[in-house]
Amino acid sequence: MIKHSEHHIGYYISLFLIFIFSTIIMLNFSQNKQIQASIIVLTAFSYVLFGIIHHKAMHDLTSKIVIEYILIGSLGISVVIFFITGGFLS
Amino acid sequence: MKGFFCHLFLPQETNNYRPKIIHHSSLLFLIILLFLFSLYAPFLKKSYSGVLGVSIGISSQDLLLLTNKKRQQNGLSSLKLNAELNQAASLKGTDMFAKNYWAHTSPSGTTPWFFIKKAGYKYVYAGENLARGFTSSEDVINAWMDSKSHRENILSKNFQDVGFAVVDGILDGEVTILVIEELGGMNPIVLDRKSAFNESVAKQNKAVEGVKSSSIIKAPILDTLSFSKILAYGIFLFFIFIFALDMIIIENKKIIRFVGHNSDHILFLGLMLLFIVIISKGVVF
Repeated sequence: MIKHSEHHIGYYISLFLIFIFSTIIMLNFSQNKQIQASIIVLTAFSYVLFGIIHHKAMHDLTSKIVIEYILIGSLGISVVIFFITGGFLS
Repeated sequence: MKGFFCHLFLPQETNNYRPKIIHHSSLLFLIILLFLFSLYAPFLKKSYSGVLGVSIGISSQDLLLLTNKKRQQNGLSSLKLNAELNQAASLKGTDMFAKNYWAHTSPSGTTPWFFIKKAGYKYVYAGENLARGFTSSEDVINAWMDSKSHRENILSKNFQDVGFAVVDGILDGEVTILVIEELGGMNPIVLDRKSAFNESVAKQNKAVEGVKSSSIIKAPILDTLSFSKILAYGIFLFFIFIFALDMIIIENKKIIRFVGHNSDHILFLGLMLLFIVIISKGVVF
């Protein structure tokens, strides 16, 4: 049980660090939309990868779980693309 | 009807203890729908340009009034709209689009002072504020006032004149609206607080007369910026709520499922929501 908790904490700390790091880059490159778009895609990719690693470490990884993470990652990207194409001038 | 909504939004036996809305098929359907809309959005905006588009209201008159309002609130004299500084701002905007840069100094080393001199304004003091990605004059002035260096320019006692340019074009491959504010002072004599108060709003309006103004005003029937922002926020908040609700119910009922961690999804969707807030903000320089 303790081992499981340690796995969870380590995983969430890593995920938080990636999220904080990507937010800092997003804020620092507020003038460059291309870099911001790349960061969004990389963050989604990292989230899917870390989700898979986390479940693998917990020994409960299934193909359905992999698909679920890919779908949520894709949902995040598709909403951002929708916002960019709908809300921007071109 | 109630059963249908419960099936859609709450984990229960009929949906294998996972709300139907977060099943793979539902998520895939929504992703395809969003991608299709994103693909056709530019064509729709071009075909129905009067109906669909981004609502924009930036004009040099509004920028002047708002700038002077901020100055008056701080006990300073009003700035006068100056034709030469307007021209300098316009030249700067044209140069930024032509050479594709977003900075006070061009890649070839041209400073803002070059454009001010070229326009024929003989300054003792000069300053420049830049903004991009904004859709209203109020937002531009507020962003400048929130930034220390831009605020110092707006509230400087050294300036008596101001010029604006609101120009649109393609910068870094993206259609962009640039707002350029050139500030100048020919007279090194600093006005005191008392004389600043004596200047009336009527004088401000008088200063605008005879000087060509720069503005971009667009008022489509459906503002796609507000629409897509509300929808994007709504989608993220909705799924965050559904995942949180699902997590609470499943925890309480102590049901064992082999699915992804809802907490991961909530964190990720929350971060994407934050990213939309960041990218939707204009920037000043």
